Amino acid sequence: MLIEESAYTNRWRRVSPAAKGITSLCGMVAAYAAVTPVGACGVAAILCAVTVLGAGIPTLRYLRVAAPALLFLSVSAFSLAVSLKIGNTFGDLSLHFPRTGYYRVAEVSGRSLGALAALLFLAMTTPLPDIITLLRRLKAPEVLLDIMILCYRTLFVFSEAVRDTITAQSARLGYATIRLSIRSLGGLVANIAAQVWQRSQALHLASMARNNDGPFRFLEHDYPNTARDMGVAVSGGSALILLALVI
Amino acid sequence: MHIMEGFLPVKHAIGWSIASAPFVAYGLYSINKKIKEKPEQRMLLGVAAAFTFVLSALKMPSVTGSCSHPTGTGLGAILFGPAAMAPIGMVVLLFQAILLAHGGLTTLGANIFSMAIVGPFAATAIYRLARTARTPFGISVFLAASVADLLTYVTTSAQLALAFPDPAGGFTASFAKFAAVFALTQIPLAITEGFLTVIIFNSLARFNPRELNELNVVTAREVEA
Repeated sequence: MLIEESAYTNRWRRVSPAAKGITSLCGMVAAYAAVTPVGACGVAAILCAVTVLGAGIPTLRYLRVAAPALLFLSVSAFSLAVSLKIGNTFGDLSLHFPRTGYYRVAEVSGRSLGALAALLFLAMTTPLPDIITLLRRLKAPEVLLDIMILCYRTLFVFSEAVRDTITAQSARLGYATIRLSIRSLGGLVANIAAQVWQRSQALHLASMARNNDGPFRFLEHDYPNTARDMGVAVSGGSALILLALVI
Repeated sequence: MHIMEGFLPVKHAIGWSIASAPFVAYGLYSINKKIKEKPEQRMLLGVAAAFTFVLSALKMPSVTGSCSHPTGTGLGAILFGPAAMAPIGMVVLLFQAILLAHGGLTTLGANIFSMAIVGPFAATAIYRLARTARTPFGISVFLAASVADLLTYVTTSAQLALAFPDPAGGFTASFAKFAAVFALTQIPLAITEGFLTVIIFNSLARFNPRELNELNVVTAREVEA
């Protein structure tokens, strides 16, 4: 996973997750508060620059991560730009591109780009366990956090099992045709589904052996410059919101 | 079909979050109750969330020539029940937003509503109806999985149409536009996922019938058969 790779290797790995969370939140607020599409695009550009130049995320990787969302945006923007007129008789449809549609596309695209840049700032600089720790401090329900921790720890085990199985199936031409692909994929998912019970039983036994009777607790990282990081995040985030309101 | 970060207007983003909240809260309540009775369920649900996440990242061949990703809503709902799928779906959608940049945090409520509430509840209702009507197991699973997928896509189109009504034709025209644009990928995906889910359940019924019986997916008589 490209985002996961960046989250652990960026320059701001040791910056307080709370500070990164505040910056991201301010970015989203700024994207929504922007008065004009230019302002929202400005917010997006600043957050992109901060992520790429500040945290040291490679530009190409950043673009690859953003690509699926941008594809959704382009398809949806086309739908927004087109206006459909339904006539009185069945099948009487006409398409046209009204002038107001363009402004709406610019507005939605600017906001989406700003909010996406804010999300990517948080996702590409903060590992998920740090975000879970942050959620615990924000008093998120324990059972939800337990599901998140277990999900995070098991998904890499499953990913590896999936990769190995696909390699083995491909070596036997399991994905040579569409029909064979669906059949192989069905077998693969059924095999992984069966592992859900086996692995959950094994995890339960392991936790019982350690007298676990409540939520999962882990040691948290120390962030020596939390106060400084928070100060920078609050002032930077406020400046971003002000900028969005002014431009 | 995930709505991207920041795409919905603020009122809609908050509105869909409020609409999803009671389902997630009830799901958490029912999970807590289950865990008190059977503590091993905690592990099962966490591992099930990882399974759903990995499933959604698999590439599935599509008849349009491109690749799509299965949603797993039908499969998850039949295996773990619709109430548990709301919090599991929430975790999976949150992970997809943070780890894959699919969907988003501001659109989490809307995506939960379509993919973790409407889809699973529809899948369970159709599966139970079909089984009550003595429809064969494979056809029941196919109907549940593909209709759940279709309803997820219809709900997303409706969410987009509500947020952005067409200036000339209003909600109906806007819904038709979004549904038509996304139909190209979503209808083949629904059919393919239906077939895929049947193959998965056939394999499970063959090799893991007892687990299916424990989850009330098949009856004890079917296990013996």
